Parts: sequence; C-alpha cells; structure tokens
Amino acid sequence: MDTEQQAKKDQPFQFDDWMKTSTAFFESMGKMWTDVYKTVAQPSKTNSPKGRKSGMHESLESGLKTWQSLYSAMSDSGSMDSFSKSAAVLPDIVMKMMQTGISGFLNIQNQWLQKAERIGKSTQAYKFENLSQNAFKAWQKMYEKEFKQFLNIPQLGLTREYQERMNLLTDQFNQFQSVAAEFFYLLNQPMEKSFQVLQEQVSVMADEGKLPDKSKEYYQMWIKILEGHYMTLFQSPEYAQSLYDTLGALSDFITARHKIVEDLLQSMPIPTQTDMDELYKEIYLLKKRVKALERQN
Amino acid sequence: MKSGQMNQHSGGKIPVNLILSNLAEDAEKARTRVEKASDVLLDKLDTQIAATPYEVVHQEDRVKLKHYKTKGAQKIKTPLLVVYALINRETMLDLQPGKSVVEKFQESGVNLYMIDWGYPTRKDRYLTIDDHVNGYIGDMVDVILAREKVKQINLMGICMGGSFCVMYTALNPRKVKNLITTVTPTNFDTNQGLLHVWMKNLDVDRLLKAYGNMPGDMMNFGFLLLNPARLMIDKYVGFMENIDNKAFVQDFMRMEKWIFDSPDVPGETFRQFTKDCYQKNLLIQSKMVIGGRRIDLKKITMPLLNYYGIYDHLVPPAACDQLTAAVGSKDVQDMSLKTGHIGIYVSSRCQQEFTPKIVNWLMKRDQPLKVVRKRKTTAKKRRPTGSDKSAVTKKTTAKKTVAKKTVAKKTASPGKGAVKPKGDK
Repeated sequence: MDTEQQAKKDQPFQFDDWMKTSTAFFESMGKMWTDVYKTVAQPSKTNSPKGRKSGMHESLESGLKTWQSLYSAMSDSGSMDSFSKSAAVLPDIVMKMMQTGISGFLNIQNQWLQKAERIGKSTQAYKFENLSQNAFKAWQKMYEKEFKQFLNIPQLGLTREYQERMNLLTDQFNQFQSVAAEFFYLLNQPMEKSFQVLQEQVSVMADEGKLPDKSKEYYQMWIKILEGHYMTLFQSPEYAQSLYDTLGALSDFITARHKIVEDLLQSMPIPTQTDMDELYKEIYLLKKRVKALERQN
Repeated sequence: MKSGQMNQHSGGKIPVNLILSNLAEDAEKARTRVEKASDVLLDKLDTQIAATPYEVVHQEDRVKLKHYKTKGAQKIKTPLLVVYALINRETMLDLQPGKSVVEKFQESGVNLYMIDWGYPTRKDRYLTIDDHVNGYIGDMVDVILAREKVKQINLMGICMGGSFCVMYTALNPRKVKNLITTVTPTNFDTNQGLLHVWMKNLDVDRLLKAYGNMPGDMMNFGFLLLNPARLMIDKYVGFMENIDNKAFVQDFMRMEKWIFDSPDVPGETFRQFTKDCYQKNLLIQSKMVIGGRRIDLKKITMPLLNYYGIYDHLVPPAACDQLTAAVGSKDVQDMSLKTGHIGIYVSSRCQQEFTPKIVNWLMKRDQPLKVVRKRKTTAKKRRPTGSDKSAVTKKTTAKKTVAKKTVAKKTASPGKGAVKPKGDK
C-alpha cells in the first residue's frame, strides 16, 4: 500500500485530482452562468411565463448534472487529497477571466437583442397601413439605422480586408434591393392607377349608355390612360430621384462585387479586371503615342 | 358599330348581347390567327438586315469604313460619309430592301461611305470623344479623300454621330464641303425630352466605375422606360394582332433585331458626352474642348442641312433647332418631319421625302469649289430670293430667332406643312 501511495505521489499528473478540480471548476462555472444569465436576462423576464425556466437555464442545469453524475462514476474520493494548492488556484484565475469575458459578451448580445426589440420603433413616423412609397423609405431608414452598423463593425486580423469587402458587398446588395424595390413599386403605380381610371370611365360610359361594344376599344382606352400616367410619373422629381438612387446603388453593388471576384481571382493564375484595365490603359496610351509619332514623320 | 350609333339604338342601355357577340367573334378571330401564326412562325422568315452589299475599304481597331457602290452613274461628285451614333448600329439605314436609305442613296448616284463603329469592349473604355472625332472619323475622312482623289467630302451625321460630325467639321472645316445633321442633339439645355431631364443629374462617374463602358442593354432599358406603355406593351399587342401576317412579322423582326442590337458605349466618351453636353451644354455655346481644341461652331461655314423629327422623344426639336443659328454658315436649312427619332429613316412616308431631299440639296451644292466660293461672296451682298428660299443670311437668322420658334410650333400642329425651311415665313 505504501508503495502504491508513494507511486501516486511521484506521478506528475493524477487523474482523480484533475477530476476533482475540474468538477469544482464546472460547478463554479455553472453557478456563474446562472448568475450572469439571471442578471442580463432580467429585462426580458416579464416576457417568460411565470414559474417557468427558460431553455437556456434548463440546459445549463442539465449539463451540470450530467457532468456531476459522470464525475461520480469516474472518480475515487480517496485519491483527491493530494491535489496541490497551486493547481487548485489556477481554475479560479481562469474562471474569473472567463466570467469577465462571458459577461461582456452576453452584455453585447443583450444590447443587440434590445436593439432587435427596438427595430421598427425608430420609424414610427411612417405608416405601414397602406402600401405606399413610405414603406420603402421606412425600410431604408430602418436598415441604415439598425442593420447597417453591424456590417461596419471593424474587422480584425489577417483576413480583415477580405471580411470588410464581404460586409461591404452585403451592405451594397441590401441597399440596392431596397431602392430597386421602391423603383419597381413606382413603375407599377401607373398600371394600378390606369385600371382604376379605366373602371371609372367605363362606369360613366355605362351610365350614359355609351359603352364601346368592341374589346379593342377598351384596350385603346386603357393604353392611353396608362401612357398618360407614365408620362406624369416620369416627370415627377420622386421618380427621377428613385431612378438615380437605383442606378447609384446598382453601380455600388457591382463595384463591391467586382472587388470580391478580384479577391478570388488573385489566388488563381487569372488576371483581374484591375490588371486588365491597367494593361488596356497602357496599350491605349502607347497607341496614341505611336499615332502621334507616325503623324510627325 | 360606333358607340354613338349604338346609343341611339339601345336608348342608353348597355348592349350586353352585342358586347358578348363581339367578344365571341374576337375569340374566334384570335383562334384563327393563332392557327395561321404557327404556319408563319414555322415558315422560313426573311429577317436579314443590312443586306445591301458593301466593301470594307479601311479598318482601324474595331471601326470599319464601308463603301457602297452607286447603282448606275455617279451623279454627285463629292463622296458622302455617313456617321452613325455610338448607340445602336448603322444597320438602321439599311433595314430591308425597298425601305433602305442606303439603297436610295445608291440609286440616286451618291458615292456612299459609312462608318461601322463595331462593338466596343472593355479595352475601349479609355477612348474619348477626341479619339472618335479626330481619331477614327478624321482617319476615315483622310482615307476617303485619298481614295477618291478629292479635297472635300460631304458629311452626314445621325443622332450622336451628328454631334460628332458637328465637332469634326468645326475643327476641320476645309475638309467638309456640305454638312447634313439628322436628329442631332446640339442644345442639351431643354426639358422637352425625358432623356434630357434624366441625364442632367445622372452620376456618370459612379456608373462607369462599376461598368467601365456604358452597357448597351442598360441604355436600351432606359429607352424603353421613356414610354413603357407603347414600347413594352402596345408594340407587342400590335405584333400579336398581326402575327398571322408574314410580311408584318418579317418587318417587325427586322426592327426588333436592330433595336436590341446595342453595343456598349466607350466609358470616357460617355462620361464626356454626359458631362460636357447633357449637363453643361457646352457644344452649342462653342465652349466644348476635345483634344485640347475648342469647338467653335462659327467655324462651320459650309452649307448645313439640319433634319429633325417633330415627335422625337429622344432628341426633341429643341435639342436640334438651335444649330443653324449657332454656326457660321450662311447657307443653312432646318427641316422638320412629322415623325419620331427613327421614323425619319424607316417610315415609308418619310423615306419618300427624306433621301430625295438630301440628294437634291447636295446636287445643288455639288459644284466645283471656285463656283461655290463665288456664290457665297454674292450671298453676303443680297438677301435670299424667292428662288433660293433655303439660303438664309446670318442677319436674317439672328433677327428672327423668336419668330423661328413660332414656326417650329406651327409645323408641329396638324394640317401645317412639316417642312420648315429657315426664313421661309
């Protein structure tokens, strides 16, 4: 027996000691997660049904119990005494570091959740009851205020620039989608209105007993009304602005897309558009010089 | 039955029976039409455009110089160079045999050359207006002069090609004997056409940063948006109504082929045209600079014939009708036709008027240089006579600027003569 104990003391790492320490660590962790969760989830508590634990809380408790039962099955209580003091201190330090980090992370997450809850509240001035151009403006404003900033979070490390370009592409695509939706909505307006006007005109004609008896005449009436509505729309400053916004957003999206494609091409033996443009410009300038020299001679 | 007649018969009630029977009749017609349509569409269709034979006598990069030999004797000594726009293609002048401006010129004894701009690619994005005007057009003119052993050519421009011709002529007046501009924008400060309104605030730099060149398809989409009711709906309804008519389908397909054959416009050229012309309106003010040289319209002193369409929504009359007053020539003439941008060249009615008028106008001026100079000197001393109504002194033009606008409005109204010789009041 003495020989066995001596052998145990001589081992640089003992399994049962590690088990005890790690169990203590995870017990503390479990408590910490529970405490942190209770703190940060306080504002949303009212949303949960009374007396019912949330899914996250339940999974934490369940995980801890699993670990404890696992530990009971595997550990030998007699072998835990020899755990060195220095080793016992380490999990405390790590735990504190983790607690700080996780608490910070959860705080950020909580802020994001709160932001998500606020989405829509910042644009209350716009009404969504009727589908109108305001809906697109509201969405654009909401996107700018609530979503776009996530894509502008500074990126870190070696892949920073690549990630930034991906975020830019996502942003430009979202913006293009947004303004294009408004543009096509505007384009559709004369169609809707022309049918309304046609119905009114037909109604008046019916009252007067002057309804055309040929379907072609109805079509001719409608196409004239439609043309008139388009002409009115196209001369409006709202349409012109929407057209410029759409073209601009499309251009920005395509520029951002080209940059991503160039990132991909750089890893392959294929020249990028920038490479080719530089080459084209050199050829263009050289040809001009040659032509000028030819004219001199 | 007219609705008025129907009202009399029905005494103000809705003739449901009549409407239903007409609908049934229409449905039957549509069924018959569709049956015939399959025969037409499955049959061999002749939809070839630009079928008139030509010879490529010079090529520089993608740009070709086409030469069309006259049919019969050459009646006009000075060769005519036609410069089309960079938007769409010159094949519009030769859409189909029998309705071809090119063919009519050939038959009239005009020694015809035409520039084919080809299809610009990404490598052409740096080409400027100067490269097109002093480069390609300049080189093509020199090739014709050398080939034909003449000192001058007649120059005819179409749309943006007309603007290029104005620029070239102002910079090289000695090489141009007569200038003809057709649907040519030179004054861009107008709100008559939607294109002019929209182009004024276009962020062309942003667009070209993305695309390099201005995509032809994007421009075409823009043109369709000028009148979607007619160009995207009514046009195809008309096609469906005539789908059993082989000749109609062939003509329609030729036009469809041409209209969507849209080369890209070189980026730098589009940028400068947008900024200097549409946004700053420099050309008509003689302030535009290309290749380091200012385009002074007063240097255009040769005879000028300026054609435009009264119903042109792309290049409206207001964009065209100031040129004759801005140039230095004493022999100028505005001609307006009751048609749109393309109708001048493709409608049967306009073709009967358009090409013969140009040929006659050129014939009258196709004299040896010495004689022309003598006549010009004489013109300074006398006011235009009734026998030469098209020749107008600058003095008259300047005095009657306001009156001229009134004439333009009058010609646009139905029942008035569409042809508007300047000073013909």
